[in-house]
Amino acid sequence: MAETKTLRVNGASIIVGPAEPDTPLLYVLRNDAGLQGPHFGCGLGQCGACTVHINGEAVRSCQRPLSAIGPSDDIVTLEGLGTADKPHALQTAFIEEQAVQCGYCTNGMIMQAAAFLSKNKSPSEAEIKTALANNLCRCAAHLRIVRAVSRASGQA
Amino acid sequence: MNMIDGKFARRDVLKGTGALVIGFALAHCSPREQQTQVTVGQYGPPEDEIDSWISISQDGTATLYSGCCELGTGSSTGLLQVMAEELDIPFEKTQATGPDTNRTVDQFVSSGSRTIALHARPIRQAAAEARAALVEMASKRLNVPADRLVTDGGIVSVMGAPEKNISYGALVGNERFNLKVTGKVKPKDPSQYRIVGQPVKRIDTPGKVFGTFTYVHDVKIEGMLHGRVVRPPSHGASVIAIDESSVANMPGVVKVVREHDLVGVVCEREEQAVRAAEALKVTWSDWAGLPEMKDLYTTIRNTPEFPSGYADEKSRPMGVIAREGDVPAGLARAAKVVKTNYTTPYHHHGSIGPSCALADVRADGVTIWSGTQTPYGLREASAKFLGLPSQKVRLIRLEASGCYGQNGADDVVIDALVLSRAVGRPVRVQWMRGQENGWEAYKSARWFECQGGVDADGKIVAYETQTWGFSGYSRPEYHEPMHGGEPGSLVTAQLAGWEKPGLEEGFGGASNNFEPVYADIPNRFVKFTYLGPTSHRMGPLRMRVGSMRGVGSPDNIFVAESFIDELAVVAGADALEFRLRHKPTERMSAVFKAAASRANWQARPAFAKPTSGDIAKGRGIAALGGPRDTNVVGIFEVDVNRKTGAVHVTRAVVAQECGLIVNPALVTDQIEGGVIQNLSRGLFEEVMFDKSRVTTLDWSSYRIIRFPEIPDVLDVVLINRPDLPAMRVGEPASEVVWPALANAIYDAVGVRLRNMPFTPARVLEALAAQRQASL
Ligand code: FES
Ligand code: FES
Repeated sequence: MAETKTLRVNGASIIVGPAEPDTPLLYVLRNDAGLQGPHFGCGLGQCGACTVHINGEAVRSCQRPLSAIGPSDDIVTLEGLGTADKPHALQTAFIEEQAVQCGYCTNGMIMQAAAFLSKNKSPSEAEIKTALANNLCRCAAHLRIVRAVSRASGQA
Repeated sequence: MNMIDGKFARRDVLKGTGALVIGFALAHCSPREQQTQVTVGQYGPPEDEIDSWISISQDGTATLYSGCCELGTGSSTGLLQVMAEELDIPFEKTQATGPDTNRTVDQFVSSGSRTIALHARPIRQAAAEARAALVEMASKRLNVPADRLVTDGGIVSVMGAPEKNISYGALVGNERFNLKVTGKVKPKDPSQYRIVGQPVKRIDTPGKVFGTFTYVHDVKIEGMLHGRVVRPPSHGASVIAIDESSVANMPGVVKVVREHDLVGVVCEREEQAVRAAEALKVTWSDWAGLPEMKDLYTTIRNTPEFPSGYADEKSRPMGVIAREGDVPAGLARAAKVVKTNYTTPYHHHGSIGPSCALADVRADGVTIWSGTQTPYGLREASAKFLGLPSQKVRLIRLEASGCYGQNGADDVVIDALVLSRAVGRPVRVQWMRGQENGWEAYKSARWFECQGGVDADGKIVAYETQTWGFSGYSRPEYHEPMHGGEPGSLVTAQLAGWEKPGLEEGFGGASNNFEPVYADIPNRFVKFTYLGPTSHRMGPLRMRVGSMRGVGSPDNIFVAESFIDELAVVAGADALEFRLRHKPTERMSAVFKAAASRANWQARPAFAKPTSGDIAKGRGIAALGGPRDTNVVGIFEVDVNRKTGAVHVTRAVVAQECGLIVNPALVTDQIEGGVIQNLSRGLFEEVMFDKSRVTTLDWSSYRIIRFPEIPDVLDVVLINRPDLPAMRVGEPASEVVWPALANAIYDAVGVRLRNMPFTPARVLEALAAQRQASL
């Protein structure tokens, strides 16, 4: 049965739905919460475009049903990671390194890298490449993305 | 400014996503002042009026109304640099808007890396004339002759008395110029450029990293519903029956829609549409008209030529690109002869975001939000499809996921129109991943036959390369300078029963750069055998083809530059020296030298010093260029793993000369992107199909490059030639990748890979065959 739910998103409580319990979190964030950071890329867990943080972990929101989200789960999207006034180190680094082409993958790159950097403060280039190995970019901004993540490491 | 007033959901505005309301018209920044108005004809405002291109607000911000589509390459930043330069206004005080058929000039298709090369011209001229007009106005206001005035930073001041000045905003703020673009004002000499040529940061990056950027996927309007389509299970299937009861009890279903073989569902919520489209029971007719994959290339070779497709190609009659001397005679006196075949597969564009559009079909007019590359062509195709005069349809173009050519961005508009018309409300449609891969227009597969010979002195005495292929282009719009378009090119219109064929595009672009870049080849024959238009729903080989980055050029260069290497090998020559021996142009030679010096190229024949052990090292070179086109040389160094078959690029040097460089950072960015994308295509990619349909419908069946596989080092060498016009930037460098790779693999392990992609399996197979042959 469709239900209305309260979620914690970017530090605020928002009411979403009514939606079926199997609704992927991605649609709820985009359409109910009006967020534009997470994108639909494959809906299959293969590309990373939909990545958000749940309790600090990078999660593919196209694969996470609404029913699996509890009231205390802390969801952070690209919008909540940082803003133009208070940017996250990765957001600054992506601008400095111009690591964005079409930008459709950028959400996933930054969110995946942010979760990674919070555990590994000064990774090698090879470690960064491994950490992002399941995030796809078709414009092939890879070199700049690696440079941006390196630049942000130690500051994140 | 242009917006559909009152149509946006209030809720979204209140939630602080207000950027979305203005976002669609001004994709990267909010308008600072009221904009000026223009009169709009069938193809936008008049091209020859300054107001059609530029307006200046009271605070001195200059807005550019560009008909060019930003494709994620930063071209809009480049266009703003051009405008800011000619206007003498700080780059920070500029903004861009459009395309929008209610406000911007028809600048045709934004493709072929031509935005800066071509479409900047009218903008440069309009800006130069706007500046001249501002000086005239200031001359009257300050009562000083115009030749004693200078412009800088958006201010006109008196020479030698800078305190006497007036700002652009004060002169014209929010007013129209009311002036024609005469062509009489001379734009700046490039030697005076202060903004053009600078590595200005892209205007769209902040929005994209903070999640505030509005893509076409993000547009929401009041009363909007969500649609998803249901595609046939095979390319040729038709609907036999639809069982609407299969979704009748599902939540949120508003309507099941069928128009001929275009089937879809409209729901209240997006996930409901996804589920209902999955659940809808449709009985389709059987169809199994594709060849077996293993027979693909013989099928292409045996497809009859399509002679009428050559009609418009005066420069290449009957597909003949070059015919000089006598090939058989040359072969007869050759000391060594090489005869080989090559193949290149179909490729997916592989946009990370599946195509999306929003349509609002109302009795009094239609609005479309689309990520198209051809706003006016698609607007007219849509109008024809709906049976409306084109001015009843407004198309607002927003940025989408990178497309690299003709993905489903245009097709999905027909889906949205059909669904919106059926329910009388605005409907947003996004394709699912498998639908994007299954129904877009692929890069055409190609078959090649080559023969050539060298004499005892190592000079080429005969050269013949031939290819068989389909169109490289099947967009819905006419070719510039003809305005407008036809729906028949869209597979969705074909599904919806639109019978009039689309535009017959011929083979044009697919044959580019097939001719060798070396002048001194006496007996040569180069031909493209055109097999006609083809799509999932019609044509000889029911795989839809369309343009993809470089169109046919990467395939042609793969073969031309691999085959020249094969000739160098039999001549026992160094690959670079052999190329220079056959006389590339002076411009091309300069690029060869720049690349060779950066890569520290040492002359020796290929595979002369094979490395032992599991990892074999090799290097390969390849070039592309034309007298009026960008010249590129790539030198790739690879590790080939003899055990696993994996190929890894340790270093790639790419030297490029593309005339005047508008923004070196953007050029480097495009070269990096192009090289890595084509490395992905060359190493991994091949669209697969069974007898009914394409089967590479996700990212596990269609593998693209991942971070660990990118080159360790990519070294870009730019040669700026301000004395030459700006030339193509995004495509050429990517086109040397495949032959440079194949040549490097040969150098490493002595096997020639002639069939793409160069997967580990292919490399191992070739190594096994080599071992067999040496037994
Ligand atoms: S959209 Fe979620 S992983 Fe691709
Ligand atoms: S920047 Fe376009 S997909 Fe990564």
